[in-house]
Amino acid sequence: MPHKIILVKDTGAVENKGVDFNTMLANQLRDSGAAEKASIVPVADIGVYDKGLVLRILPDNVTYSNVREADIKKIIEQTVLAGKIIEELSHDGRDKQLRIVLKNCGLVDPDSIDDYIRAGGYQGLRKALLELKSQDKVIEELKKSGLRGRGGAGFPTWMKWSTAKNQKTDQKYMICNGDEGDPGAYMDRSVLEGDPHAVVEGMIIAGYAIGASKGYLYIRAEYPLAVKRIEKALEDAREYGLLGENILESGFTYEMEIRLGAGAFVCGEETALIASVEGKRGTPKPRPPFPAVKGLWDKPSIINNVETLAAVPQILSNGGDWLAKIGTATSKGTKVFAITGKIKNSGLVEVPMGITLREIVFEVAGGLLNPEKKIKAVQTGGPSGGVIPKDFLDTPVDYENLGKLGSIMGSGGMIVIDETDCMVDLAKFYLGFCVDESCGKCAPCRIGGYQMLQLLNKISNGEGELADLDKLKRIAYAMQKASLCGLGQTAANPVLSTLKYFEDEYKAHIVNKKCPAGKCKYLLMYKIGEDKCKRCGVCVKNCPTQAISGNREKGFTIDQVKCIKCGNCTEVCKFEAVAKE
Amino acid sequence: MKKISVETMDSMKKEGVDTSKNWIKVGMSTCGIAAGADVVYATLLDEAKKRNIEVVIKKCGCAGKCFAEPLVEVNVEGLPRVTYGKVTAEVAVTILERHVRNKKLVKDYIFF
Ligand SMILES: Cc1cc2nc3c(=O)[nH]c(=O)nc-3n(C[C@H](O)[C@H](O)[C@H](O)COP(=O)(O)O)c2cc1C
Ligand code: SF4
Ligand code: SF4
Repeated sequence: MPHKIILVKDTGAVENKGVDFNTMLANQLRDSGAAEKASIVPVADIGVYDKGLVLRILPDNVTYSNVREADIKKIIEQTVLAGKIIEELSHDGRDKQLRIVLKNCGLVDPDSIDDYIRAGGYQGLRKALLELKSQDKVIEELKKSGLRGRGGAGFPTWMKWSTAKNQKTDQKYMICNGDEGDPGAYMDRSVLEGDPHAVVEGMIIAGYAIGASKGYLYIRAEYPLAVKRIEKALEDAREYGLLGENILESGFTYEMEIRLGAGAFVCGEETALIASVEGKRGTPKPRPPFPAVKGLWDKPSIINNVETLAAVPQILSNGGDWLAKIGTATSKGTKVFAITGKIKNSGLVEVPMGITLREIVFEVAGGLLNPEKKIKAVQTGGPSGGVIPKDFLDTPVDYENLGKLGSIMGSGGMIVIDETDCMVDLAKFYLGFCVDESCGKCAPCRIGGYQMLQLLNKISNGEGELADLDKLKRIAYAMQKASLCGLGQTAANPVLSTLKYFEDEYKAHIVNKKCPAGKCKYLLMYKIGEDKCKRCGVCVKNCPTQAISGNREKGFTIDQVKCIKCGNCTEVCKFEAVAKE
Repeated sequence: MKKISVETMDSMKKEGVDTSKNWIKVGMSTCGIAAGADVVYATLLDEAKKRNIEVVIKKCGCAGKCFAEPLVEVNVEGLPRVTYGKVTAEVAVTILERHVRNKKLVKDYIFF
């Protein structure tokens, strides 16, 4: 029997509070005479959450969850000593994540082209150039795969490529959109930094498919490490003959260049991005003509998102059918999300399409940051998206389902919202972002966004009227219909979707002049509860505006005029005597 | 470097990425570096040399567990491959001594 390792983690179940499992386990091991046969290793995270005491026994690789004190003897006797699995305790420890785009992130040295080739890299390019040897066949694989754009709109990638391929001109361009301006989103940065060659290879294959001889990688200047790694990747690919003249002796010649974006959100929009690459001010243009027909320097151009392109090499090397097996009827493959907010394990997750939001939040990402609070909603799609209330957490995630709920897949931002978050405040945040980032070229977005923001401010300051809700909807409609580009057309989405699902919360602000989540500071009052206050005076010292007065005999009170609602007093009071109302 | 042939590509693919038995990888993307991965990486290189511990130390991209950065993945013959999270320079030294040299897992820092 090989030496066993028992990994231990108390994943948080109330009934186990205060039990020292490590000592107990060690004692029982010793009592069973197994002390020499196994070692106990407490771990920081075992990938299973809210399932009480969890043990994983290696090398058997079995996981037991909700383990009680009484089970331990049995586990030692059967699994540790006899190698048998106890079915009723075992937990399906399979990872719900599926790594395709992030396959190499964490595996290869991003600065080593050899590592990438060792991981199976550049086999997709080789297949395209030396086996398929046809633009149509490459596009056919993309069609079979069902891959849709990961940059927001979810347009089928093969269709765009096919349009550009069919244009008859002397020059076409391929562009990679690495602008990633959504607040909280960093999927693309991670791919560019962790697996730059996948993006480079995807760009070469795409260039071949549409008949381009030149590609541009548009990366925001705030991503210096991504730029450095891509530069190195381009250099090494060129040395190996995978980029430049006569790639892999196939006769195909293709060059690539990096262009830096200055961090304007609107420059992620494709026509604005094209203007920016041309060296002009990044403002959108009406479409049509679409870039696939008339784009960069008026030549047919295809713009794809980083994540879209990073999926391309594996589609070629494994075949389109391989990707089509993953996902739902309309949405194939996986999606990377940057999950943040009130979540325990914030970070990047890559999941197959069709997984539910509940699985993402509670299984993949470890559940809520504060398990005592209730989840309220999940925001997807960033400033162009919306909120999905908790009642819909069991919806399978794909482009269509999220759209039906009034949100979008977007580029992959995902923010978990609990009951301490205010929906008016959230809508204000996203709309405020779009107002700041509006290029100002067209009136509906420039003026409409500002007017909507003023109305939201009015509501959160306690000065709102019910008629304001109608005004918000009317302006939103005008912006959706009349704005020139996607920024203005979608800027109202966070407001509309919070209004749709949380109208009560808006009304609480307007009618009762209360913010149910306790976020909007003009609607809050800090008060010292006489019954709880021990008259220690700590809050007095910590109030930045000297709003708290009184003495040990009479007690303390807060002057509401001087109070700036910083909340310091609540935090410093050891007796929880300062209440937020 | 010179142009690569498809034969070379194939044989490299067959060998795979991790050709050495004992290796350590440090997640060195922006999220990792912001949490101190560069210090951990430098410490590992330095201390392994000073202590005469033979192990390949490499950098890699972000594996996604940004909440637990800096992340250090360790593969040593005879032990399961594990990822340590929230690694500091001190923990890095412990990993070298305890995990790599003495072949025992380091407690409390493993993240699955
Ligand atoms: C205001 C605005 C910002 C955008 N920002 C990005 C971005 O940062 N990255 C991106 O890939 N697409 C962005 N898009 C979507 C692009 O216009 C385009 O649809 C996308 O890059 C196409 O690539 P795909 O088909 O691979 O998704 C943005 C669109 C709008 C309207
Ligand atoms: S919708 Fe907004 S960002 Fe887009 S062109 Fe009009 S003003 Fe500019
Ligand atoms: S800190 Fe709390 S207990 Fe002390 S005086 Fe202020 S409210 Fe009273």
